[in-house]
Amino acid sequence: MSAHDGPLGPGGTRPEEIKRRTFLDLLLGVGFVSTALSFAYPLWRYLIPPAVAEATTNSVVAGKATEFKNGSGTIVKFGSRPAIVVRTSEGEFRAFSAVCTHLDCTVQYKGDTSQLWCACHNGLYDLAGNNVSGPPPRPLQAFTVNLRGEPGQEDVVVTRA
Amino acid sequence: MRPVIVRTVLFQALALAVFAVSAEAQQPAAATGCQTCHASQQSATLATPARDFAVTDVHRERGFSCVDCHGGDPAASDKAAAKAPSTGFRGKPTGALIIAVCSRCHSDAALMRKYAPKQRVDQAAEYATSVHGQQLAKGDTKVATCVSCHGAHGVRPVGDAQSPVYPLNVAATCTKCHADPERMKGYQRAGAPLPTDQRERYEKSVHHKAMVDRNDLSAPTCNDCHGNHGAAPPGVDAIANVCGTCHTVFATKFALSTHSLIFERGCVECHSNHDIAQPSDAMLGTGKEALCGTCHSEGDNGFKAAAAMRSGIDTLKASIGLSQEQIDGVENAGMDMADQALTLREAGNHLTRARTEMHAFDPKLVDAVVSEGMGLTAKVDAAAAAARNEVSYRRTGLAISLAFIVLVVVALQLKIRSLERSTSGSRL
Amino acid sequence: MTQQLLSWLDERLDLSALQHFVSEKSVPVHRHSVWYYMGGITLFLVGVQVFTGILLLLYYRPSAGEAYESVKFIVSQVEFGWLIRNVHSWSANLLIFMAFVHLFSTLFLRSYRKPRELTWVTGVLLLFVMMGFGFSGYLLPWNELAFFATKVGTGIAGAVPGIGHFLLRFLRGGDDVTGATLTRFYGIHVAVLPATMTAILGLHLLFIQRQGMSVPPSVERREKAGEKIPQIPFVPHYVLHDVMWWYVALAVLAALALFLPWELGKKADAFAAVPPGIRPEWYFLAMFQVLKLLPAHIVGLEGEMLGVLGFSLAALVLLVLPFLDRGAGEGRSSPLVTVAGVAALVYMVVFTIYGYLAA
Repeated sequence: MSAHDGPLGPGGTRPEEIKRRTFLDLLLGVGFVSTALSFAYPLWRYLIPPAVAEATTNSVVAGKATEFKNGSGTIVKFGSRPAIVVRTSEGEFRAFSAVCTHLDCTVQYKGDTSQLWCACHNGLYDLAGNNVSGPPPRPLQAFTVNLRGEPGQEDVVVTRA
Repeated sequence: MRPVIVRTVLFQALALAVFAVSAEAQQPAAATGCQTCHASQQSATLATPARDFAVTDVHRERGFSCVDCHGGDPAASDKAAAKAPSTGFRGKPTGALIIAVCSRCHSDAALMRKYAPKQRVDQAAEYATSVHGQQLAKGDTKVATCVSCHGAHGVRPVGDAQSPVYPLNVAATCTKCHADPERMKGYQRAGAPLPTDQRERYEKSVHHKAMVDRNDLSAPTCNDCHGNHGAAPPGVDAIANVCGTCHTVFATKFALSTHSLIFERGCVECHSNHDIAQPSDAMLGTGKEALCGTCHSEGDNGFKAAAAMRSGIDTLKASIGLSQEQIDGVENAGMDMADQALTLREAGNHLTRARTEMHAFDPKLVDAVVSEGMGLTAKVDAAAAAARNEVSYRRTGLAISLAFIVLVVVALQLKIRSLERSTSGSRL
Repeated sequence: MTQQLLSWLDERLDLSALQHFVSEKSVPVHRHSVWYYMGGITLFLVGVQVFTGILLLLYYRPSAGEAYESVKFIVSQVEFGWLIRNVHSWSANLLIFMAFVHLFSTLFLRSYRKPRELTWVTGVLLLFVMMGFGFSGYLLPWNELAFFATKVGTGIAGAVPGIGHFLLRFLRGGDDVTGATLTRFYGIHVAVLPATMTAILGLHLLFIQRQGMSVPPSVERREKAGEKIPQIPFVPHYVLHDVMWWYVALAVLAALALFLPWELGKKADAFAAVPPGIRPEWYFLAMFQVLKLLPAHIVGLEGEMLGVLGFSLAALVLLVLPFLDRGAGEGRSSPLVTVAGVAALVYMVVFTIYGYLAA
């Protein structure tokens, strides 16, 4: 320390140095807090379960039971392939893979004949998934349907058999 | 009366005239005198039928024995007595007599109802309409009769995998004669000799592959197009109908087109009859491999239509490929593209339908489907672009965190320096 | 406020000895003292792995039917899942790299000499544990590359003479790499190795705290000659320095996650053909490359087995190095150690690069 510096403060420090140190401490504090926040925020969001609770490989919630009308068929996503949820005119739920066993087109529900129809080459399946007409060589893969939850607000759960 | 009915009645009459024996038994028939004697013969011609019949035979299992077809006296141990004319012994039937022997029972509905209620009883009538039946009526004994395909002594039901008429075995059975050039010499159709390479060609076909590789027994073999008992080639105008029994959509669209009026051989013109290959996009269009150029030339409407349809299909195919790449790329960066994958699958369905639609040979119809498909790929591309934006946004956020971290590092460095300065270095 | 907390605890637990120890603790400063921080960075990365690993645990499923899908789920559906997974994957590699840096620096600086032999031994054991973590963790996403790399790696384990077959079956949970292997590796990765690591790491840190930082032989000679070696207080100087290096490591991790995100690849298919150019992760690559180059038979013995034996021998030498170079404790360290160290370093670098180019 040289002679022409200012008077010494407590602990052998100078006022400018104290200012610099306090500024530095502030900078450090801000840095720590901001990095801590930039870790804490993603961590917090990560821990909250996502909208779809689990990967839909083996089971998928197709919707609420009330959303499916009698005598209808709805396509839902099951893993990476489409599935079709059929509700017969008596209200019974059935579900099949919507991938036609002929050339992989997506089948649809045909209300007038109560069959599952593939538009590509006119393949027809009955509501048990059996291939009844046209090119499909095998029946549609059948899935299990269960209703889960409060009566009146059940979830329709489709599971790979 | 129509020749068919005449022939049928003649066969039946022959049958009734020959035998008076009725068949009633339901349990497998016991070994008879015929078998005991014949099975022990040296000569294969005499012994083999008896042995085959003893091993497995659908008739024997239902209580029929040698005498039900051949006549004779099973109880007699003496050859002469067993085969006396009074016993109704007929020996080995040949030619039209075979039809008579078989149809005696198999054309009798009341009888067949007792053993196999669902089985048809019109085989003999059908046979009479077939080329085989017609030739036989003219006196040609080289043609196939009941036993040529079903066997005589080791008859198995059609559903038995070892039966010569089980779907997987049909081609081999038919071509036992039809692939033999010696045997087929002299026969012709529409002025040309009959081919003998059908089996070779069929085994290259997509139908054969479906049956053998994918176990799809509903895939066609000889009898599905040519008929079983009424076997004859489908007529010129019938080809599209025959193919159309399974390929309904294509047949319907084809029927709408002008080609259905022009093509002599219908579907066969482009797809061949026996060696039907897996169709490819290369067959359509104006390129070297394309079939359209066989009739159409540069400048005519058909040429333009072919080019348009092919280009539409190619465009959609390429677009789907690109969209798939986009999805893959974005998925790797961590975005969930399952919904887009589903949409792209739908676009793939449109590609399949475009290839079907093409059989009406109208570019406008193909274009309608292709456009819809392109709309779907456009949606997917848009979603992928949005996902990429999200990835950039995330990266920016991460970059900002990085900046803060660097800030802390710098601040710490400065802090350490200042500490070192204030405590003037060493402490001890 | 921290003061209040500390005095509250002190009243109950008597922290005076601890406080004295911490306030008196100092670290030497010299030309090579920057290497002191390498162990700390490695420790920090271990902490990052434990933290991100536990987070991944909350969503991961260790079965062949669901593992790949669950990782895909984490990366695409869970918020910031991509970040956690990327950090975990990159930090694993960075950790092993820093472990090697720490190993080589302590080797060249002869830190293993008496009285720090046990610190070295526990350290080498920790290196093996870390590589075990890397090998077991690599399989967990159940993707194509990992599946085949594990197949090859466990196959090599089978080349160990005598116990090879048992070892292979033990690792694979059967004769082939299947879902059983995945479950087993998962158990090893999240339970067995962490427990082992905690015990060995505890000892390693205990020894360091007990004995303080080692100085290089040249500095020791200066000390013995009467020179006073400058020191910095552990708190706050050294700690701040340590934290600064940790933040540098964080910056590197963030940059890697930003510019080189980890791919997931395709799901493993046991019946698919082995993809061409299959190879293990870089920290096994040098060994793998040598094994690939060895001829099938050498003097009648299986080449692969000899290779595995060779590497096992090298690992053993590494483990007992302090006891082989006993002269180091008296300032007469064998120059062979430096030679061997440089040779090992060169071999690892060259063969790792070679392994990448050969693929």
